Amino acid sequence: MSIEVSIHQALRHLTNGQAMVKVNGNTVGQCLNDLVNQFPGIKPKVFDKKGKLLNYVDIYVNLESSYPEELAMSVKDGDRLHITLIIAGG
Amino acid sequence: MLTIDELERYDRQIMIANIGKEGQEKLKRARVFIAGTGGLGSPLAIYLTAAGVGKICVVDHDRVELSNLNRQILHWDEDVGKKKAASATEKLKKINHEVKIEAIEETITDTNVFQLIADFDVIVDAMDNLPTRYLLNKAAIEKNIPFFHGAVYGFEGRAMTILPGKTACLRCVYRGDIPKEKFPVIGVTPAVIGCIQATEVIKYIVGIGELLKNRLLIYDGLDMKFTEFKVKKDPQCEYCGHVRKG
Repeated sequence: MSIEVSIHQALRHLTNGQAMVKVNGNTVGQCLNDLVNQFPGIKPKVFDKKGKLLNYVDIYVNLESSYPEELAMSVKDGDRLHITLIIAGG
Repeated sequence: MLTIDELERYDRQIMIANIGKEGQEKLKRARVFIAGTGGLGSPLAIYLTAAGVGKICVVDHDRVELSNLNRQILHWDEDVGKKKAASATEKLKKINHEVKIEAIEETITDTNVFQLIADFDVIVDAMDNLPTRYLLNKAAIEKNIPFFHGAVYGFEGRAMTILPGKTACLRCVYRGDIPKEKFPVIGVTPAVIGCIQATEVIKYIVGIGELLKNRLLIYDGLDMKFTEFKVKKDPQCEYCGHVRKG
């Protein structure tokens, strides 16, 4: 099971500059956990201390919002995740 | 009815088949509320003024600071210290005297928001913080006024068009919050996003093209990519979940 995760520009310093990381998992949560295993520095940027997604982080699966399932959403081989962060500048 | 001067001024856009004289007249009749005259508000106000929108109201409570000038192109060196709403109005009137420009030097709050937006056909989000965006989004839904969202950070920007009751609203897409902060940005980013918002407003007013409905457009200037994400109206949304429009 190979899933691609598109890494937001603001997080790429935590993935050695990689814009795309391959992960394994059957759900969004498992994929993100695998991402964190590969790049532990990403954990506090995506999850709170209780392991929930931070409320300014949104995950898209194949360009569609994973809300409301989010971490429980199933994924399959070849799917692509995007981690996006809310921005508010004007 | 367009005047002879207006027919000449807008000749090149009237030539666009989808606009024509009829579309130009719709623009002339339109009343647009722009919340903020900063990085996003500057380009979108300039292009909506140049395009001949009939009335534009710019709302901003800030004064121009030197650190604004890398991106807020309505404000110049000579304007540092002036109220932004007045500075913006002065330039917009010089760009197109045919457009009625109104400046309001107020902070948008939950007590004045409904009064501020009452007479407008369109609300454009050019704010620099989420709480005011949520407030405008909520007011737009309650008053059934289309809301054109934009935001920037660094080289990233995003835009989405919200038609109350018909599409996902800002709260359907963003559930979280981030504190108001000094954010990094280079002027070309709000230039891109502000122009996208202005394009959406023009299309909506004229009634042409495909709007960014249920489509969150994210621009990454560093990779020079536009990525479109599908978003859905949330039936449980605290703002628009109860609103249905045919």
